[in-house]
Amino acid sequence: MTCHACHEPVGGPVCVGCGALQAPPVDPDPFAILGLSRRYHLAPTEVEARYLKVARTIHPDKFVSRPSRDKQAALQWTAAVNEARRTLKDPVARARYLATGSARQDERGPSLDGAFLQQMFEWREAEEEAPGSMAAHAVALQVELEAEIDQIFSRWEGGGGALDAVPDRLARLKYVTGLLRPAGE
Amino acid sequence: MPNIGIDLGTTNSLVAVVMDGKARCLLDGEGASMLPSAVRYEGERVVVGREARDEAPAHAGSTFTSVKRFMGRAPSDCRADAALFGYRMDDTESRFVRFLVDGRAPVTPVEVSAEILRSLKQRAVECLFGEPGGAVITVPAYFDDAQRQATKDAARVAGIEVLRLLNEPTAAAIAYGLDKRDTGTFAVYDLGGGTFDISILRLDDGVFQVLSTAGDTHLGGDDFDRALADLAWAQILDEDERANSEEHRKGLLTILERTPSRHRALLLAARAAKHELTEKDGALVRLEAGLLTGVSRKQFEAAIRPVVERTGAACKRALSDAGLSPGEIDAVVLVGGSTRVPLVREYVAELFGREPCGELDPDEVVALGAAMQADLLSGQSSLGDDILLLDVIPLSLGLEVMGGVTEKFIPRCSTIPVNASHTFTTHVDGQTAVDLHVVQGDRELVKDNRSLGRFELRGLPPMPAGVPRVKVDFLVDADGLLRVSAREEHTGIEAQIEVKPSYGLSEADIERMLEDAIDHAETDVDERLLIEARVEAEGILAALDKALAADRALLGDGEAGAIEGVASALREAIAGADRERISTLSKDLDAVSAPFAQRRIERDLTQALSGRDAEVVGAELGLR
Repeated sequence: MTCHACHEPVGGPVCVGCGALQAPPVDPDPFAILGLSRRYHLAPTEVEARYLKVARTIHPDKFVSRPSRDKQAALQWTAAVNEARRTLKDPVARARYLATGSARQDERGPSLDGAFLQQMFEWREAEEEAPGSMAAHAVALQVELEAEIDQIFSRWEGGGGALDAVPDRLARLKYVTGLLRPAGE
Repeated sequence: MPNIGIDLGTTNSLVAVVMDGKARCLLDGEGASMLPSAVRYEGERVVVGREARDEAPAHAGSTFTSVKRFMGRAPSDCRADAALFGYRMDDTESRFVRFLVDGRAPVTPVEVSAEILRSLKQRAVECLFGEPGGAVITVPAYFDDAQRQATKDAARVAGIEVLRLLNEPTAAAIAYGLDKRDTGTFAVYDLGGGTFDISILRLDDGVFQVLSTAGDTHLGGDDFDRALADLAWAQILDEDERANSEEHRKGLLTILERTPSRHRALLLAARAAKHELTEKDGALVRLEAGLLTGVSRKQFEAAIRPVVERTGAACKRALSDAGLSPGEIDAVVLVGGSTRVPLVREYVAELFGREPCGELDPDEVVALGAAMQADLLSGQSSLGDDILLLDVIPLSLGLEVMGGVTEKFIPRCSTIPVNASHTFTTHVDGQTAVDLHVVQGDRELVKDNRSLGRFELRGLPPMPAGVPRVKVDFLVDADGLLRVSAREEHTGIEAQIEVKPSYGLSEADIERMLEDAIDHAETDVDERLLIEARVEAEGILAALDKALAADRALLGDGEAGAIEGVASALREAIAGADRERISTLSKDLDAVSAPFAQRRIERDLTQALSGRDAEVVGAELGLR
């Protein structure tokens, strides 16, 4: 990266040579943006506290009487900070980011295995016989998947285990959550 | 000169300023803070305010009220509304709304609004003994992109520098929150002359965070007036003896005609009766001599109940978007003159299960909040440095994809500024342009949402179909306005973007209006540019003085001398009339003080990240 103002190499958000506020990186790490260490077990209050601290310094409201270059940078930084906060406050987005490097699910996503889809098919059939049974199954599976994701990350944060299984569990979780959403939403 | 806050309302407009740490509304010569948002054209003369409003019946073809309802809307959406107000639309213009005026060229709602803004600015000049700085102008939170842009255009035509567009309920919350220094979750129910907003906010330690917002930009006191006018008119016709005649029953006799001027008189009379019905159980709607009818509060309430109930759905949606139940709201704040109507108060109390608070004047609170924000943005506010305002985008933004379906890329109620990016490719070999259609709203189909604009990306390098990767960045800024940029990723070529706003004025339209406005006001263009240059220079000097006072320690060797040298030259130039010199020195001062300013930002950012070294953070951010 070189500074947009003086074209010297730059290492941080602010150019050491000329002091210009740099445009935020294209795919910023939300943890780095908010100055938090990379982990899944993160309290929303902790994210919020860091967010407010950073937002107070770089919000466009603080740059109204500055040159347009700085206004633009403040706008982009704040957008990046807002995005980082959204990712880190949502456990699913946070888990996905840690496992895949992106907070949003890939358009295709991991494909769900046949056994899982077979199971879902059976639930739907059972629902016709016994209305409400699908929701009961779905809630139980939701809890189970969330606990599993939690465990994977606990091991990972302790220095052991990989996150390879996370995308699949998130895809299943998304499917199950979809079943529980009222029709029409 | 201080910055000002402007509440550009459907029925009334106000201007306020913070002086000695307190916000107050500026008054006209007669001691009134409210300027009726009414404009009458008389050849070259323009009459704004009370006189224009009260004499509307006699000048129905050249007087405009409630033009806020027409801002940023498509002509095809406005015909019904225009008919209700008795305005004649110029059908030769299809891109934007334009009204025919007796005795002069047609006018757009932007120009009419600019007259109101100009009048408020003039009031500020008289009260402050000089040109004010920039302005914060409030808009309904539920205003879409085109409506916001139209408001900004009006300010530009009026020669006002817009520091920020601020959502009206948020402005009210600032006035309320800074006054009380309360903490908690608030609902701001804002029912004005023509717009309704509901915002849910959390106030905590100087942070004003909007959690959700919803509303209707065509719902307000105007609708009460109209319902009451229709009721009264039906009664007047009914009470006429001739109503029982055989000819009338057969439709052969028209008893009274609702002419444009009588229609205006009827609306004015209905408004007066509405005000009376706030206190009393009955009121007379008086038209001309001999034409009057009595209306009870019960009848009035029955007539307006459907309008009031339309606010309920928006309130429920705002609560649901915020993830809250009515019981979790600590206080409901009423804003807007229409919340004086007893039925509205009852309805709100029932909806939220608590009595709303009404300690602040519902007419003035938005302007006061705007003045406070204007003061905060000056960078030298007496109200506190720790205040942070986090607002949201009211409507989802989406792109039209195959089959006329909307693909959302920014969900509603996202904290602004917010960005999103999309990558597109080409379908034909050698294709050098891509069309994008951006819409606003939450409906599945494009046709059910509002069109924001079409963006044509041009200048792509010719490549085989499917090879180019055009990354388009959408950024919604702190005013709630969309900015779009694009780049082809293989070549790094910036695509040029041509924006075709769906309903709005082009740059050329605005320039024409500016010229018209200047001719009309007989103001010298140079004079105006000189004033703008001075205002800008004063802003830079004020920000610098404050920075020097706070952080002199951050200055390098000889830096203070260099900065102060340019600053004093600029101060001298401001006293003179050489605009070029003021502009050049302003730029010089900006340049010479930039390293110092950036050192302050760097220090603040580093502190915010709790002492973590900015370079280390930068490395983690991928800025290697």
